[in-house]
Amino acid sequence: MNKTLITIGGTLTLLVFLHLLAASEACAMHISEGILPYQWAVFWYAVSAPFVAYGLHRLNVISKEDLSFKPLVGLLTAVVFIISCMPVPVPIAGTASHPCGTGISGILLGPSISVLIASAALLLQALFLSHGGLSTLGANIFSMGVIGSFSGFVVFRSLRTCRVNLPLAGFAAGIIADWATYAGTSAELAAGIRGDASFFPLFSRILIAFIPTQLPLGLLEGVMTAGMMSLLYRKRPDLLVKMRILEPGEVGS
Amino acid sequence: MHVFSDYSGKTHILTKGDARLKLLVAVSLLVMVLSHRGFVFALVVTGASLLLCVKMRAPVKVFVLRFSEPAFIALVLCLIKFLFFGRDALFTAHLLGFTISGYRDGLADGLLAAARIIGAVSVITVLGFATPFTELMSGLSWFRVPKGLIEVLMFAYRYIFMLLEDAMVIYYAQKNRLGYSNFRRGLTSFGILAGSLTLKAFEHSQNATVAMVQRGYDGHMPAMQHRPFKVSEVIATVFLIVVMGCIWEM
Repeated sequence: MNKTLITIGGTLTLLVFLHLLAASEACAMHISEGILPYQWAVFWYAVSAPFVAYGLHRLNVISKEDLSFKPLVGLLTAVVFIISCMPVPVPIAGTASHPCGTGISGILLGPSISVLIASAALLLQALFLSHGGLSTLGANIFSMGVIGSFSGFVVFRSLRTCRVNLPLAGFAAGIIADWATYAGTSAELAAGIRGDASFFPLFSRILIAFIPTQLPLGLLEGVMTAGMMSLLYRKRPDLLVKMRILEPGEVGS
Repeated sequence: MHVFSDYSGKTHILTKGDARLKLLVAVSLLVMVLSHRGFVFALVVTGASLLLCVKMRAPVKVFVLRFSEPAFIALVLCLIKFLFFGRDALFTAHLLGFTISGYRDGLADGLLAAARIIGAVSVITVLGFATPFTELMSGLSWFRVPKGLIEVLMFAYRYIFMLLEDAMVIYYAQKNRLGYSNFRRGLTSFGILAGSLTLKAFEHSQNATVAMVQRGYDGHMPAMQHRPFKVSEVIATVFLIVVMGCIWEM
């Protein structure tokens, strides 16, 4: 009897651990290929398409005035690709995860271009690394590109309007962009895999499963964004003026 | 990151095929895998894809790395569905006041979801192994994927390896100076690393633009040329899609 109890207890513990780990892994590395039923895959493509189309429109408009803009967007795509491929150990969870990077691109180039950057980075990861997938590309673009970029941008601009300094505004924007991305991913996952079950219990379960990984990871993304803002301000303030993050009068003050 | 490199079996017949047709087959199979109600079709696709990977001599290490994450997700999703979703209980156990049940319908759903994940990943893996990047971009442009997105993808692909090299140099320099000796220092170092990469991206973009303008760049990449379709390849593609469609129908 005792042996049976130990076996069941051990199995249960393992399953709970796997449950927590799996939800984190599934989203930390984007929603994997094949998880979403095709109706949901099509739905998220349709939702993301207008944002990508607007990003492309903005890219073409700006590129006509500035020939270096397309190479810059391509290079920032490479940066987001590398950042979101970089596994960072998360001590509390005992696992590794990665930041999104779209909060930063949203702040620097604006959210519409950042959606385009996320789309390109996610497409490359899906095709050549099996991170995410083609069928889940729409869902991943919406969570990482649209939600991450817009939330980071809005938080950063709002704080800057309230005269909060650059690193602190970057820190808050990085945190919110990361946490909002994972909340969005949780909602997409819950909607996609719930079957006949109700949405909210599963959504909250996935959200809770993320906490051990995403809480510190959000802080990491915040620190990273703050560090980046601080470095850009010290080394190349002219770029921040060009990106309309700083007014010309603020440089050197 | 080494899994990203061009590991396509260059001498294999599949690698020499038209990228547009390969994309068409891949997307068709993806739709079939995701829309099929049983898991047998996904397993057939997985088996065929694995066989192709072996024939293309895909390195085992790369192959395992690419499959480990989706396989793990598939396994756990299957377990979650088995234990938390369903009505038809297969077993029930009482432990410390908790009731744990495993459901027959949940297990069926879980197996279906797991098979779909592995099947879909297999298809994309074969596509990735069998198609060089530039040909894939050319194929996407033929399918009217917006030119702006293709250009961004081309620039990104060109600079990923260069920036990655820069990132590794900075990372090892930080590590040698105990930049990651504790969590707090690690955070600061990672922030500096990300900031340095962004600065390098700006610098590279300026230098690349100057170099390209000197060579006649006017804001647009030259249009990609598409070779005419080979009749034999088109027939093979249609045959493959029809055969898989028949299996899907069964």
